[in-house]
Amino acid sequence: MNSLKKTKLWKSMFRHDFQDTPRTRLQRVFGNVFLHLHPVKIPVDALKFTYTWGLGGISFVLFFVLIVTGVLLMFYYRPTTGLAFRDMKDLEYAVTLGTFLRNMHRWGAHAMVMTAILHMVRVFLTGAYKPPREFNWVIGVILLTLTFLMSYTGYLLPWDQLALWAVTVGANMAANTPVLGNEGPFSIVTPLNDVKFVMLGGTSVGEAALLRFYVMHCIAIPFIAALFMAVHFWRVRKDVFSRQTGEKVDVWPHLVSRELLATILTLLVLSIWSLAMNAPLEEMANPTVTPNPSKAPWYFVGLQELLVYFDPWIAGVLMPTIIVIGLMAIPYVDVNPKGVGRYAFTERKFAWSIFLFGTALWFALIFIGTYCRGPNWEWYNPGQTWSIRRISKLTLMNIPNFWGLILLGAYFLQGMVISPQWKQRCAVRLGEGPTRLACQGLDFGLGALMGAALMIPLIWTPEFFRTLGQSRNAPLMQSLFALRSHLGAAGELAMVGIVTVTALCFGLGAVGFGRFKDRLWGRLGLVKYAVVIGLLLLMASVPAKILLRLLFGVKYIVSFPTVSFNI
Amino acid sequence: MKRQIFVLLSLATLVVFLMAWAADSRKEWVGIQERFNARAAKPEPIGIRQIMVAPLNRIDRCTTCHLAIDRPKAAQAEQPFTAHPGDYLKSHPVEKFACTVCHAGQGLATTVQAGHGEVRHWEQPLLRGALVQSSCAKCHGDLETIKAYAPMLVRGRQLFKEEGCIGCHALHGFGQTVSVDLSEAGSKNLHQLDMTFVKGPHTLSQWLYEHFKDPQRITPGFTRQELPQGEMEIAPTAMPNYRLTDEEAQALTIYMMSLTDEQVPGKYVKSLAAPEPPITTENAVAYGRAVFDKYGCVGCHGQNGQGGRNNWNAVDGQQVPALTYVKAGYTKEALKAFIARGSQPLAKLDPHGPSPSLYMPRWQEKISDEELNALVEYLYRLAPDETASAAPTP
Repeated sequence: MNSLKKTKLWKSMFRHDFQDTPRTRLQRVFGNVFLHLHPVKIPVDALKFTYTWGLGGISFVLFFVLIVTGVLLMFYYRPTTGLAFRDMKDLEYAVTLGTFLRNMHRWGAHAMVMTAILHMVRVFLTGAYKPPREFNWVIGVILLTLTFLMSYTGYLLPWDQLALWAVTVGANMAANTPVLGNEGPFSIVTPLNDVKFVMLGGTSVGEAALLRFYVMHCIAIPFIAALFMAVHFWRVRKDVFSRQTGEKVDVWPHLVSRELLATILTLLVLSIWSLAMNAPLEEMANPTVTPNPSKAPWYFVGLQELLVYFDPWIAGVLMPTIIVIGLMAIPYVDVNPKGVGRYAFTERKFAWSIFLFGTALWFALIFIGTYCRGPNWEWYNPGQTWSIRRISKLTLMNIPNFWGLILLGAYFLQGMVISPQWKQRCAVRLGEGPTRLACQGLDFGLGALMGAALMIPLIWTPEFFRTLGQSRNAPLMQSLFALRSHLGAAGELAMVGIVTVTALCFGLGAVGFGRFKDRLWGRLGLVKYAVVIGLLLLMASVPAKILLRLLFGVKYIVSFPTVSFNI
Repeated sequence: MKRQIFVLLSLATLVVFLMAWAADSRKEWVGIQERFNARAAKPEPIGIRQIMVAPLNRIDRCTTCHLAIDRPKAAQAEQPFTAHPGDYLKSHPVEKFACTVCHAGQGLATTVQAGHGEVRHWEQPLLRGALVQSSCAKCHGDLETIKAYAPMLVRGRQLFKEEGCIGCHALHGFGQTVSVDLSEAGSKNLHQLDMTFVKGPHTLSQWLYEHFKDPQRITPGFTRQELPQGEMEIAPTAMPNYRLTDEEAQALTIYMMSLTDEQVPGKYVKSLAAPEPPITTENAVAYGRAVFDKYGCVGCHGQNGQGGRNNWNAVDGQQVPALTYVKAGYTKEALKAFIARGSQPLAKLDPHGPSPSLYMPRWQEKISDEELNALVEYLYRLAPDETASAAPTP
């Protein structure tokens, strides 16, 4: 061995010896093109597994596994509608280790989507995106989006019914893009030049779409993702690790060994998973036969579930866009310097609550879409047997546009705030007390208006009240209807009372919300406040619309069918 | 300590990988081939066999297990090592036809269940028993030429004619549009069928069989209780229950299964479907009777026009009218005009119920004047004798 190390060949390859000295430890890191993305020293606390859970690293390991298995799969796969499915069957039945290879790739992809999401959650909870790491968070959000896209484009390639229709669900959502989608609101395009056509290379998922998805999946997106990953890792090093307490230790061997351990563990788990479970493969894709139900890939099924409550341009285009932009905006609007480098709920109650609420909502919708929806998108409890013969029809109605616009306007005007300067100016003229009263009065009025704009059309649009009151899917309307019928002449009075009480409650709620807004404004200033309150109201609008539908049987708040603009 | 963990985990990963490899190299067919070799005079090399027939778009790996299917000398008594029964392979050499073009199943698969196509997500399971006869029609369009080999298929087509299916269903451009076109009935996708009430395995042939035996049990429609409030009920299928025997139902199933969307290349076609023989009779009434059969009037109006077929929510006792006394209600000209024009939709018994599914289709463009005249002669003779004698003779 020692004589080998003295040869010219050895020396030309390894420029340092392998004694465990501080010098070689450093040399190993910065003398190696792959390892030099690491710093040479790292704070010992940052190595704690329960801090990072290794999620970013595991995502990268999975990416690497996906490249290796993906390249191997490419030897056996031809992206044409006549051959793709046959090649899948060959992989399963004739290629040595073909099934295992495909399982590794499939489950690895699912796992990578999951670990990338969890990595983002971890980084948020430890405040690791705060200055100076804001930009790297943005890169991370881009990488997460690219991960979704890689998985989604790969979903089509097996060319079975599952693939075809999952991608069709997504493509139809794209067709509902405002302005640029043929079926979206204010459309200015035809089916032959809208975004869906660009995505599929045709009007439906066919030969051209398969080739496009194949090229995107195997070359374009992984290439872009690899570039962003390089930047991401580099910035992790350059922006300094988020947990900076305690002494520093050498990256070799402390960090490198842990990375190796995580790699082996990931491989082990993925191998066991691939041995135990086979990747799904259904009938060959058939554009003329739609399976019932057709579901999007699991990570998009939450958006598909939202289609129950929103038109596709909101659920499939607006929501994901706002989510991505909103995530990117987080480090720039979060001015709270506390809670960096540790899981500290008490220091960041507001941020944690909002973020975890959004994450929980996302996963709850995914759960419902995956396990609780059967044929005709009917609700089934998990484990309940599906029946294509079960058909229920909901009675749903639209709020008249006049009231709907007031309701929508009042809702989003809740975000408005009266700046302290204005208040001061008023106070100079009117005095402290009256000014405060006037501001609270404004908040109260806006809230009460919202409550009234909600209840008045529900009760005093005669057809609306009667139809929904006698339906089976609008419990609150049914109770109100029953109450008025029961009370006879006094019924009308009771309705007035209920509307008044609702308006009062909304008003008081708005006054409370006003105090919160003032505090937020004080901390954030105009621009950040506007971004935060806008995102907050948009996020809250999702459960609000869901409740409107489940409790009141409301389909649209405002509806302009001529331009396909419905909310 | 740390090093041990690395070594241990690496070994564990290696073991899992080797397990995957072992499972992969000990697939079901390897054991089957070894079983064959244990008793064979000359052992076969272990490996997947496949027959590729490009013109038929087939890659069949069935011979991986059915090792002696075309070599009676090497055959063994036990499945899957038997030779093909009969001398079919002489006229249908495997190199030219492969397996699944006749037997269906999943040619690319190499496990027993998947190869037989009796697994989820495979729509053409092995055609067991007489069902295999349905494949003959792909090349042998003139079924009379293969009557001795495919008796059930021929019987099925005969029943199809006798029962007058063509009166409601179209087949290759001939027939009516009261119900679905059956030209590709044997290629129907499972997603298009409601299997809720099928007792046997959920396959197309089983659905067809049970549907022939009792159409209303398989397709019962929807009662108002099953539907959302205020929705109109959906009537059971209008397909009459012909009280078929098991054998008749199976024969019809086989005939339906023969109507596929698969097009074989021209050089595989042995014969085309023979055209209907022209009606050769001088007798106007017998000629009319032949017309009555040719256009499937019997399907709804019954043998000799005696009626008795249900038609949900139709006036006239929810039945298709009998034709026995048709001459009492129509002059010959009026009858001809009625047949030519048809009658759709029929009046509803319950005005709030669904429209009757059966109706008299329009025949104007499908029937010749000569045929129509003869048909009316025949219909006029349906009435019992005492009225017939009183009827004016032309």
